[in-house]
Amino acid sequence: MKNFIFGVFVLLFFHGHLYAQDIKGKVLDENGLPLPGVNILSSTSSSVSDFDGNFSINAKVDEPITFTFLGYVTLTINAAENMSVTMKMSSTDLTEVVVVGYGTQKRTDLTSAISTIKSDQITKQPAFNALQSLQGKAAGVNIIANDAPGATPTIIIRGLGTAESGRSPMFVVDGVITGSIANLNPNDIESFDVMKDAASAAIYGSNAANGVVFITTKKGKLGKTSIKINSFYGAKSILNPVEMANSSQFVTYFNESRAAIGNPDRLALNQPYNTDWYDALAGTSFSQGNDVSFSGGSENVTYYFSFNNYKEDGLLEGHEVARNVLRSNNTFKAFDGKLKITQNASVAFTKSTPKPYSSFTEAYKQAPIIPVYYPDGRYGMSYWNKTTGLPDYIIGAGQQGGRLNSIGNPVANVNFQNEKNKMMELQGLLQADYTVTDWLTATTRFGATKSYSKTRIYNDIRGRYLAADPLRTLTDFQNAQNGAPTSTEFANNSLSYKDVESFRYNWDTYLTASKSFDKHNFNATVGVTKERRNDVYESFIEGYGVPEQENYWNLDMASLNYTKVVKQFFQTPTNVLSYFGRLQYNFDEKYYISGTIRRDGNSNFKKNAEYWGTFPSVSVGWVLTNESFLSEVNNLDFLKLRAGYGEVGNANVPFNATSIITNPGSANTNYVFGPNQDLVFGGAVGSPATNLTWEVTKEINAGVDFELLDRRLSGSFDYYNRINTNAILNVKPILNSPASQNYFDHGGEVRNQGYEIALNWKDNITEDFSYSIGVNYAHNKNTLENVKPAYDGMTGGSLGDGQITKRLQEGQPIYSWWLLEADGVWQTQAEIDANPHIGTPQPGQLRYKDQNGDGVIDDRDKKFYGSYIPKFSYGINVNLAYKNFDLSVDGFGAGGNKVYNGLKGTRVDAGENIAAETFNNRWTGPGTSNTNPGANRDALSSSYYLEDGDYFRINNITLGYTFKDMFNISRLRIYGTAQNPFLFTKYSGFTPELNNSGAPNETAGIELAAYPNIKTFIFGVNLEF
Amino acid sequence: MKINYKKIVCLSFALGVLVGCDDFLDVDSREKITEEDSGENLEPIAFVNGIYGMMTEWDYAFSYLGITEIISDNADKGSSPGDPGGDKGLLDGLTFTATAGSVEAMWTNWYKAIGRATYSIGYTENYELTDEAYKNRLIGEAKFLRAYHYFFLVRAFGDVPLQHVDLTVRVPKEQVYDFIEQDLLDAIQVLPEKSQYASADLGRATKGAAQALLAKVYLYQKDWQNAYDYADDVITSGQYGLEPDYAQIWRVNTENGVESIFEVQARGESIAHGVQQYSETQGARGPSGWGWGFNTPSQNLLDAYNAEGDVIRRDATIIFRGETMYDGRVVSTAVENPMYNEKAYSSANAGAGDGDKNIRVLRLAEIYLIRAEAANELGNSSVALSSLKEVRDRVNLGEITTTDQTLLRNLIWKERRLELAFEHDRWFDLVRTGQAAQAMQANGKPFEVGKHELFPIPNGQLIQTPGLGQNPNW
Repeated sequence: MKNFIFGVFVLLFFHGHLYAQDIKGKVLDENGLPLPGVNILSSTSSSVSDFDGNFSINAKVDEPITFTFLGYVTLTINAAENMSVTMKMSSTDLTEVVVVGYGTQKRTDLTSAISTIKSDQITKQPAFNALQSLQGKAAGVNIIANDAPGATPTIIIRGLGTAESGRSPMFVVDGVITGSIANLNPNDIESFDVMKDAASAAIYGSNAANGVVFITTKKGKLGKTSIKINSFYGAKSILNPVEMANSSQFVTYFNESRAAIGNPDRLALNQPYNTDWYDALAGTSFSQGNDVSFSGGSENVTYYFSFNNYKEDGLLEGHEVARNVLRSNNTFKAFDGKLKITQNASVAFTKSTPKPYSSFTEAYKQAPIIPVYYPDGRYGMSYWNKTTGLPDYIIGAGQQGGRLNSIGNPVANVNFQNEKNKMMELQGLLQADYTVTDWLTATTRFGATKSYSKTRIYNDIRGRYLAADPLRTLTDFQNAQNGAPTSTEFANNSLSYKDVESFRYNWDTYLTASKSFDKHNFNATVGVTKERRNDVYESFIEGYGVPEQENYWNLDMASLNYTKVVKQFFQTPTNVLSYFGRLQYNFDEKYYISGTIRRDGNSNFKKNAEYWGTFPSVSVGWVLTNESFLSEVNNLDFLKLRAGYGEVGNANVPFNATSIITNPGSANTNYVFGPNQDLVFGGAVGSPATNLTWEVTKEINAGVDFELLDRRLSGSFDYYNRINTNAILNVKPILNSPASQNYFDHGGEVRNQGYEIALNWKDNITEDFSYSIGVNYAHNKNTLENVKPAYDGMTGGSLGDGQITKRLQEGQPIYSWWLLEADGVWQTQAEIDANPHIGTPQPGQLRYKDQNGDGVIDDRDKKFYGSYIPKFSYGINVNLAYKNFDLSVDGFGAGGNKVYNGLKGTRVDAGENIAAETFNNRWTGPGTSNTNPGANRDALSSSYYLEDGDYFRINNITLGYTFKDMFNISRLRIYGTAQNPFLFTKYSGFTPELNNSGAPNETAGIELAAYPNIKTFIFGVNLEF
Repeated sequence: MKINYKKIVCLSFALGVLVGCDDFLDVDSREKITEEDSGENLEPIAFVNGIYGMMTEWDYAFSYLGITEIISDNADKGSSPGDPGGDKGLLDGLTFTATAGSVEAMWTNWYKAIGRATYSIGYTENYELTDEAYKNRLIGEAKFLRAYHYFFLVRAFGDVPLQHVDLTVRVPKEQVYDFIEQDLLDAIQVLPEKSQYASADLGRATKGAAQALLAKVYLYQKDWQNAYDYADDVITSGQYGLEPDYAQIWRVNTENGVESIFEVQARGESIAHGVQQYSETQGARGPSGWGWGFNTPSQNLLDAYNAEGDVIRRDATIIFRGETMYDGRVVSTAVENPMYNEKAYSSANAGAGDGDKNIRVLRLAEIYLIRAEAANELGNSSVALSSLKEVRDRVNLGEITTTDQTLLRNLIWKERRLELAFEHDRWFDLVRTGQAAQAMQANGKPFEVGKHELFPIPNGQLIQTPGLGQNPNW
């Protein structure tokens, strides 16, 4: 600003000379840093600014000269001696460059739906896995968080199309195809480009059915070395815990349930202990990270080097994860810039000591009357004295003892878990780009990922034995051990080591041609890729009876009394060979048409007659604002229509071979013969090999991109309709068929259709105060169409106790809820006798509706209740900047789905705890409640447990302050962030984000484990030199 | 700028080299042994063993009890009053529906076993074994087992699909019986007699077993002459005899003994492998107990034993609360139920998951009773009476002398009940003889004539293959 005014004064007071001369000057950016590489044009010559932003150009004084630089607003200023020019960054996103698969494109030229998220959005809040920072930033891209430390969130783009393997999108890091980005330092990421529709992803063919996420890592820029340091420290705790019943509530409830079934057991009303198991388990835990990067470059070399250290404690004591990542990205130019070599390499070392997350579920279920530790220091167990009604394990003469439930002591389970995991992952690529002619470039790129992981688990069998029953003594254990010296049940301990190694690579070679004649612009790419993945090796060894000291923990030290377990396993790798091509044409940057074609051959399908697939796509676009009839409209800065069609595939399908079942132990393939009843081994066929091929998804997409009101309002709208034409389902064999194991077969079509809206408004209220608000909304409808008759009606969503909750049915969303309708509560026995009921219910239990009126309650009375898959999701991002302060608030929500609270259906007659809400609202006698059952409840799955899954999270509030040009530091920002501080939901369980394994026929959408949500408060510093 | 053709040619060549051939896509499986390769690793006998293995499945320890014993007048559900045992309570009370889990479990198990039998017959035929007799024997064993399982299906469900023909179409039961008979006739041709087997093969299907099963099959079809002939063949074969002490029949020391025609084998020592949890589900429940307490003898059965004065069989079949058992184990008076099934008791393994309890499927005493019944129906009361006498003499019961066909028939039926109690025969026998309605109603169970003679086709099956159709009134 000051420089600009100075420049004006210079112009005013110094006469322009009428002859051309060498005008010297300096180009700076808004922060006062020199801008190298800026193109300067005068009427007679052109020039480029150097390293320090200095330039020299031949021009007349006062002659207008133009400064252009990608990403900055083009400036035309009158030349003056020693002029100092400040360039402002372009406020439009449209000049940005988007990755399109084997190439890049300007956003204005894009004819398909690609969402881009830039690094400043990603690094705003520190996260272990960069995907977590994407939540709510792109319409149609759903990130389901996983709060366990070091865990990978699930990403679903435009609805669930694939039911079995391959549900995740494909990840490409700078061109290297990789399975997960867990070991990618989020600070190294320059941008995410998410290819949402088939038209853009089709060039990746059989990998791309569920979208493609392309990640570009940072590179050095021309200029002097930039050093960036980021540091943060955070504290986390449980968000929205469910309030559990306390001791007196539990006793009341338990006694009621016993009285209802005529059982004489009663707990005493005055209990000595009132344990809050969640408090006992989890406290506050901390995380910290440090990141330093050096980057810079000259004309022929650019470099980027970074080191990142991230340490996080889990909520459970002793759960730690630490990761160190080193990255080096360099580019070299040779032969006059015709040959460019890019080398990216990163190595990540991760160390973790996981603790069983199942302890949270145990903490939910364990009774509050049981102490964490008995007075003598042993772990509290759920034994109780039935005569006194107290949690004592000492049973006197004439007294009776019992066990309240079969749940262990969660604190004990955390303490006994001794697991250590170390992993190293190397990822890198080497790429050569050769400019053959000015319109033809040849590229070849080899990228690979290699990972090694080692897990050691030590199990203190003796310790667990003693903890399981407080009456047991060391002598008991030793006697048992002497009685069965070869039985591993009484070994002192066990030690196991598991090694996993995996390797994957892809080698791309392609030619890019780009030529323009008059107003015709052509761009073509053609190439070939070789890929190898799933090359996994796993070995597992386990021994028993090693010495207690950790330095002796190797299997040579294991006791010879026990047989060691040795397992080794090689996975069958998959080789993929692909050819691809793309042709883009535009006329005058007004009319666009683009087509791609990809042909993939996959070794998994070699046993079929057809193992080559072709995936075409075509898309068109029309930039209306470049038309003459719209170019004068005020406030309409950019308007583009686009539409596309593409076919993509999912080749990551389960490997189906006719399996012969054998077993070395007691199994139904083995039998006994002979007078000595010897064990004889046999075999059987498990399931037939159905010929599987890749799933093919076809999609049409139509969209509008616009910028209005001086580029302050920008947005886009997309409509899509995608269908997975041959979805693979996990098929339960027909009951009277010979097949006994589940197998995979193409069973149906899954359709996802919906629309996405993204709007962004940014403005400056004053010079110092600017703000932006971004909103995105996506709506999706999932339907299963055309199911093979034999597979229609398969049930799923097993709760593990014989109850099922979901069913596959044509016309419904995939594996939608299928449950009995809970229709009130039985108030009296007379009411039960007069109405249809299932089994022998009692007053206080749920009443179910007889849908078909046949007087019997069974499967035929179950009905469909929609799906766990959200119908809509939305995100809100607000950013404010006032002078040196910056504030951002991000929120994310989803809804329109139903989730099943499986925890509410805990078997209370098994003495397990309930939520306080369940206690307070229960039925206690005729007329007290017609919605909630009493303490004696049945174990049937029904709509009573189904709740709305709508939620809204504020997932980030950040306030920062930036100091500029302090000492040598060009930028110092301190900030405080609250991550996930608020979760608004009506759901009564722990979290409505219930993806579990992700498989729709399993427990996705059902809360069976009590994993809490986590909120984190972080204080951090960003430094730039 | 001149287009440098040389450079382009070089590049294309380089690209061509980089382009892989199809060989790149040939990857051998490293994980599961594919069917093509399994021929090198599994011999036909392994697949035959696998068929036998299906009889050790968990279904036989619980679901099977429900539909053969608990549902009948011999047994009650057992366990504690509040424990439904899945659908056992419903079966006991005849209030179960087509969604009953036990019915679906057995339907599925039987068909999987039939699948294994059919597969092993095909595999054996194609394997190129050189020993013709051995090959035929393996096929004979598979056919025996296939017939055995179809016999269950046709008795339980009536018209059922023949799996190898069409899963989705039910064939009339006469046709199923024809198929069963054909398999057994083929098996009889090629199976060796019990004494002809090598010692290590003790327990495999024998000629006698096939004949005995065929006799029973003919009995169910009321083909009295054939039933008589085949029962006679078994009795006169010289391979079998009656155990002198009835109480010993279900104990370990008489496993595969002289009376045993076919048993489901089990072992209790490590690596233990028996009918999974068979002894545990029926073991005494509560203090001093070793099991879950299901399938308890009914008062009705106890009364029948006492009315007959049949002390030996009563005490051998029933464990009484407070009793000290033959091996010294004391059953406390604090156990949950007054009576338990002694035939399921394993002295060495009690409530272990895999115990040494062999399940006696066919034994000589039943063949005597089949001959008696068939002879009586043919009007040959002298053979009927002598066969009956063999069985009754063994347990010190008086001789029956009546030659009246109707009276004798009922007496033989009563003898079957007392002799074969808890040997998984009672329910099918009640239905076969037409006594089911009266027996159930006498016990206050709502037996519906025209409905309960057959089990319903499982609802799970009808969801998958709706065209099968349901049994009447279900």
